[in-house]
Amino acid sequence: MSNNILGLGFILIAGLLSAKIIKKIKFPAVTAYLLLGILIGPSILNLVPQDILKSSGLISNIVLGIIAFGIGQNFSRFHLRRIGKAVIWISVLEACGALALVTSAFYFLLRQPFYISLIFGAISSATAPAATVMVIREYRARGNFTDTLLGVVAIDDAWCLIIFAVSLAISQAIYAHTVAASFMIKVFFNSLLSIFGSFILGASIAVLLSIIYRFVRTQADLLILTLGLVFLNIGIAIWLNLSVLLASMFLGAALVNLNRYYFKFFDSLKMVDSPLFLLFFVLAGANLEVGILNKLSLIGLSYLIFRVTGKMLGANLGAKISKSTNSVRKYLGYALIPQAGVALGCALIVKGDFPQVGNMIFTTIVATTVVYELIGPLCTKYALKKAEDIIIH
Amino acid sequence: MSREVISVKRSMKLKELLGIFEGFHIFPLVPVIEEDRRLIGVVSFRNIIDVFQSSYPDVLKLVPFLDEEEQNIFKIDILEDIGDLVVVQDIMDQEYIFIREDTSLEEVYKLMKLHLKEELPVVDRGGKLVGRIGIFDIIKLVFRQKGIIR
Repeated sequence: MSNNILGLGFILIAGLLSAKIIKKIKFPAVTAYLLLGILIGPSILNLVPQDILKSSGLISNIVLGIIAFGIGQNFSRFHLRRIGKAVIWISVLEACGALALVTSAFYFLLRQPFYISLIFGAISSATAPAATVMVIREYRARGNFTDTLLGVVAIDDAWCLIIFAVSLAISQAIYAHTVAASFMIKVFFNSLLSIFGSFILGASIAVLLSIIYRFVRTQADLLILTLGLVFLNIGIAIWLNLSVLLASMFLGAALVNLNRYYFKFFDSLKMVDSPLFLLFFVLAGANLEVGILNKLSLIGLSYLIFRVTGKMLGANLGAKISKSTNSVRKYLGYALIPQAGVALGCALIVKGDFPQVGNMIFTTIVATTVVYELIGPLCTKYALKKAEDIIIH
Repeated sequence: MSREVISVKRSMKLKELLGIFEGFHIFPLVPVIEEDRRLIGVVSFRNIIDVFQSSYPDVLKLVPFLDEEEQNIFKIDILEDIGDLVVVQDIMDQEYIFIREDTSLEEVYKLMKLHLKEELPVVDRGGKLVGRIGIFDIIKLVFRQKGIIR
């Protein structure tokens, strides 16, 4: 297909219909978009126009910027006061648990280069709250376990964005040079500089947003202003070689603490983000290379197993330290299995930054995302049932 | 602005809240206040509809890619004693638009248009509820200024 607009129309409508179908069997729409992408991608039916495929990087930067901007809301003073010690401990440790275990397994067991192991480790720290929330909603789960779980899945992608930004900087440095102690210190300071730079950029754009907001008169103005400044923020981050993810997260975080009506900015984006998210997931699926899947079976399987084990051990330790209930300690890890947007977005960044190994990493993440999104909801249901937050007859 | 406002406490039961407005054709924006009249939230008819859905609206706002929940309120299985179990605090919006009593009418009108609201709570400098203003209050005033009504 070479007609781009026809291609876009086809993707949106086919995406919508496939999501409706998959909903009947109680799976999240994300899974439908990914499977549709794989089906209509170049590996199978080849229905996606080349120009649209080539714009995957653009779409992913925009979508990641919007997601990270939303994740920034977690850092409002109000929210931070409310979330509590247990959620902080569990979310930090389950993210770090996956990072540590996946990185070690890839480096020591699979003998992958350290920079590849670290990238896999960093991506593995992400979770996908949407699939988890869907199960909670469906079974109307309530209770201490559900409260903790929701707190954890809402904030842990913020830790993932930080882990990924630092890991990416380290991996890029190792990829480009050989490792020496003095060099690693330089890398460390460069990543600190990147975090600090992203913070300054995000905060400055938030101030600008708050100032221009005074001249906004209509909902349309508000949407244009928010989208414009989110794009400007992403663009400047790319231009200055800062982290798109962190700059966008800091923009959101600064805004929630600067402006009394901050929630209106986030609400306005909700009017346009759904089709962008759909495109992002379908294109992620279309970018999967079916041909190299069989070569990746060991890598994929290890990633699947060690990520889940890392999250379970981390969540268990976090629950133990924060003296959470027994059910939180035993079962919370099961509910953290889904992986989607943030992991795919990070993998797309890696695909662009590491031309030689990027495809291998990206295809592994897309394939494992499909598996996680299929088994994740079932595991979440199991955890909620075991924790006695839902009663299933 | 009207100074007579029906406001509720955070501990009021859903049943009592619905009871107040049973005779009305509409459910207005209801301010939620503390003992000292400090405004802490608002309840609108949307929050009442949320009772039919699972809770946690605050956290759900932070979740990207969340499919919208399709609920058929006519078919949903809901406990009869929910009216006693749910209190205002569970359903109120803690993020809401309000105005100070010294805000100009142009500014209020602009806020209403921008945020698609038809009424807003009014507070004093200490954040205590002093009244409410609706879009009709502003329209009436403009008509009066133009001499169309007295």
